[in-house]
Amino acid sequence: MTSPILELRGLNKSFGPVHVLHDVDLAVRPGEVMALVGDNGAGKSTLVKCIAGIHPVDSGEIRWAGRPVRVTGPRDAAVLGIEVVYQDLALADNLDIVQNMFLGRERGKAWAMDEADMERAARETLATLSVRTVKSVRTLVSALSGGQRQTVAIAKAVLWESKLMLLDEPTAALGVAQTRQVLDLVRRLAEQGIAVVLISHNISDVFEVSDRIAMLYLGRLVADLPTRQLTHSQVVELITAGRSGELGLARPDTVTI
Amino acid sequence: MGTCGETRARGWPMSVSGTVMGGARPDDARRHNRAAVLRRLHRDGPCTRAMLVTELGLNRSTIKSVVEELTLSGLVSERLPAQRSGAGRPSLLVLPRPHAAVVLAVDIRVDRVSTALIGLGGEILERLSWRLNERSRQPLEVLTKVIESARLLIDELGAPVRAAGVAVPGVVRNADGLVRQAPYLSWADVPLGEQLTAGLRMPVAVANDAELGALAEHTRGVARGASNVVFVVGDVGVGGGVISDGVALRGAYGYLGELGHMVVRPDGRECHCGYRGCWETEVCEAALLRALDLPPGTVRGELVAELRELAADPAAALARLAGFTRWLSIGLVNVVNMFAPELVVLGDLLVALPCSVLDAVSVEVRERSMIGRALGDTRVVRSVLGSDAKLIGAAELAFSPVLDAAAT
Repeated sequence: MTSPILELRGLNKSFGPVHVLHDVDLAVRPGEVMALVGDNGAGKSTLVKCIAGIHPVDSGEIRWAGRPVRVTGPRDAAVLGIEVVYQDLALADNLDIVQNMFLGRERGKAWAMDEADMERAARETLATLSVRTVKSVRTLVSALSGGQRQTVAIAKAVLWESKLMLLDEPTAALGVAQTRQVLDLVRRLAEQGIAVVLISHNISDVFEVSDRIAMLYLGRLVADLPTRQLTHSQVVELITAGRSGELGLARPDTVTI
Repeated sequence: MGTCGETRARGWPMSVSGTVMGGARPDDARRHNRAAVLRRLHRDGPCTRAMLVTELGLNRSTIKSVVEELTLSGLVSERLPAQRSGAGRPSLLVLPRPHAAVVLAVDIRVDRVSTALIGLGGEILERLSWRLNERSRQPLEVLTKVIESARLLIDELGAPVRAAGVAVPGVVRNADGLVRQAPYLSWADVPLGEQLTAGLRMPVAVANDAELGALAEHTRGVARGASNVVFVVGDVGVGGGVISDGVALRGAYGYLGELGHMVVRPDGRECHCGYRGCWETEVCEAALLRALDLPPGTVRGELVAELRELAADPAAALARLAGFTRWLSIGLVNVVNMFAPELVVLGDLLVALPCSVLDAVSVEVRERSMIGRALGDTRVVRSVLGSDAKLIGAAELAFSPVLDAAAT
């Protein structure tokens, strides 16, 4: 087994009286697509936001490439090599593709950004992904289709040589063909050695693209297994009941929030 | 039919790449010239009228009328170049229009099928893929899904698709696309070409995946401009495609290409083909996993990540992969002795091999192979098209007749 790029140990997070994450242990390996599934309120998005440095954790350890790290903000996450793609909030509508890909990390001096350089880098990155290229990298993001937006958001991870990509329901707002396009891209990135954590509600998408499935039930990680060892119905049961046969919690009915 | 101002045929034997000026019927000449210009633009991208004149050796007025005809039929467009060179009126830039001629490309792998719509000029316009398992690997399942996916992609693109090309990891009869044997898919005598032609209602050409990888590298990849190339693709299995003197070597029925089944170790491991000691048993994905002490079934991305990490320490990489490097070298020495290539291109998983391994293999091939010594500069390089090589090759296979037809 290769060593994990990201490891969570005993992660806890509460919002006031609500205990959202209970002692979550999770390991993500380079080149692996891990699907994170669970019902609404199971804590998936909170977990991703803890990794991305948006929420501070109450207790537990986050280890990056074998060393404990503190992620106190999105900038820390970006420095480590973590890129987050959200359902639809990933890009700024009023900026063009190049500006979005370099947002917060513009090249050159503050008073003289190297526009040509950035434009070329953006174009080359999109070309290496060989995805449907937009007419121009100077197109405003507001003019792109849903699939193209997600492609640009994912391309950011490639441009910045990210090691881990967190995708929070990246295809929730997309049609069938565009969803397949984005999943194909995710798959190809993983095959180049990037670690991917994918949150999705669509079980068939999860089975299509993931190597491992981690299931959250009321803030607890109830199972974490290779996709090929699981069936659709087991995953659905684990999501809804926290248990399926031998898998999952011993006494899901006693679980409290 | 007299030809002069010949553009050198670098790739596909079926291609009509010569330009015709005198001695032929005017219609033929015009058709050939249109095809030559279209091919040039498809293969090498946009260029000015002036460049077409020099490269194709046709005169200025011929190029002008050919380009105007192609513009009229919607295949190319023209605009003023962004950067001007020199004084005087700038020559117009001629660009292929991707949506004007689109083909479907299908790459059937052992664990995955990739499909894409690829436009004139080689741009990938739409794509999707799906995973294969025991059940979905059945020929009928694959066939149904390819047809479904094609519909989805074509609806999304909103432009007609003219033909399809399919890459299969096995022995394929080129003439009718009969898959004689694809051991990893457990396919035998599957009439894939016929069935897909009927199902997709368009011309479908099927070929061995490594052969198409070679075609792609030769047309758009690292082997552009090279005349003698061997493309070795290492994945779950290992195959090869050979370009000799600018033309694909095919063998009887097009069966040539199973380089992975050269016997290098008669008492070696059992091979999927039913015998022992084939080269691929020592240089395939499973062999790499063994060399790195990774469990069988490790996902591809993890293996690639491990190789990337290993590359940071060249000496350690060489030490851990010593056995693998040795077997890779032995096979490539044989390959170079057989085909005398100036370039050996490694594709798919082999792209992720650390530089130190690649260097060691190159040296071995140059020193140990007689032909390598005679040639002196045979290089072993990585594919630049990566895992898309076979997909792009499948598109080029489909494009060949499409470009001829489009020019008429």
